[in-house]
Amino acid sequence: MSAHGHHITPARTLVMVFAGLVFLTILTVVTSRMETGPLHVPLAIAIASFKAILVVLFFMALKYDNKVNALILSVGTLFVIVFLGITLLDTMYRGDLPNTQKGTIMDQQRAEEALKAEDPGAEAVRINRPENP
Amino acid sequence: MAQTTVAALESQDHHAHPAHLQHHFVSSEQQFDAAKMGMWLFLITEILLFSGMFVAYTVYRVWHPEVFELSAELLDWKLGGLNTLVLLLSSFTVAYGINRIQHNDRKGLIINLVITLLCAATFMVVKYFEYTGKFAVGIFPGGGFAPTGVYHGHELSHFDVPYASQFFSIYYVMTGIHGVHVLVGMGIFVWLLVKAIRGRFSSEYYTPVELSGLYWHLVDIIWIFLFPLLYLI
Repeated sequence: MSAHGHHITPARTLVMVFAGLVFLTILTVVTSRMETGPLHVPLAIAIASFKAILVVLFFMALKYDNKVNALILSVGTLFVIVFLGITLLDTMYRGDLPNTQKGTIMDQQRAEEALKAEDPGAEAVRINRPENP
Repeated sequence: MAQTTVAALESQDHHAHPAHLQHHFVSSEQQFDAAKMGMWLFLITEILLFSGMFVAYTVYRVWHPEVFELSAELLDWKLGGLNTLVLLLSSFTVAYGINRIQHNDRKGLIINLVITLLCAATFMVVKYFEYTGKFAVGIFPGGGFAPTGVYHGHELSHFDVPYASQFFSIYYVMTGIHGVHVLVGMGIFVWLLVKAIRGRFSSEYYTPVELSGLYWHLVDIIWIFLFPLLYLI
């Protein structure tokens, strides 16, 4: 009795999905050899993602499956996006902070005050801080 | 449906269970769903394993996009494309094999498993020629990277630029670990084939085929991303 409850993906559907995947493979090769400018990389990733979704929905039959498995895949994918996103927030913006110093801001303020005490007439004493902190 | 099964089992002699049903499951249906959910959880750990490498790829590509575009010219998109089609075909035959055994067609399952194995072997043979072709001209991963001479009409001295070795290290590690997954998959398909020939699967019980299929489709999906990222862009 067990198999009678299972969804059977029809052969026709499987053949159509396979044909779609072959078409998208040819499409990604063709578009990668054209001049698409800034779309070059996003287009290739979009086509690959669409192919992956086709495989997941029909070959892996997630479309007809218990919804808990779709939840597992979604949470897993979400964590991959978090992993990638947070890592890029670090690696893409390294070296963008101009006023990185060894000491803390408090240390710098104390050093400024010490300099001011040495020369009370000085106009503006600042150690590597913007004018309007 | 599960309710009626429980009642039916409780009123029965327990020796009346199907042979594949383990005693701690209420029904074949529950056993199948539990096994499948376990497989999906395992697939998530596989996705996270590969995601580390995809993140490394993205970080280095964002830092040195021009080096990645240049180095990708040394990968043959025709061989990569052929391997993509071969893996897509093998994914189809796995899915169709499951369709066959769901219709209790054991011969159909065996034929599809054999085609899947042949596709996986073709993939590894193509990979072998890609690797050895590159090793012959000094395109090695890591510190061994020392391209010399001419490779498929490319003067390799133009490609020996800073960070090119990072691209090829990432290429070898990603396709290498993917290749190990293909080899493991081939082992699994041989095991399935032996069980199928011995008549262990039917429309009532084909859980190992279903779970191995899920694994194989994931290996296919990884390659669906590797092909454009490494060979095309």
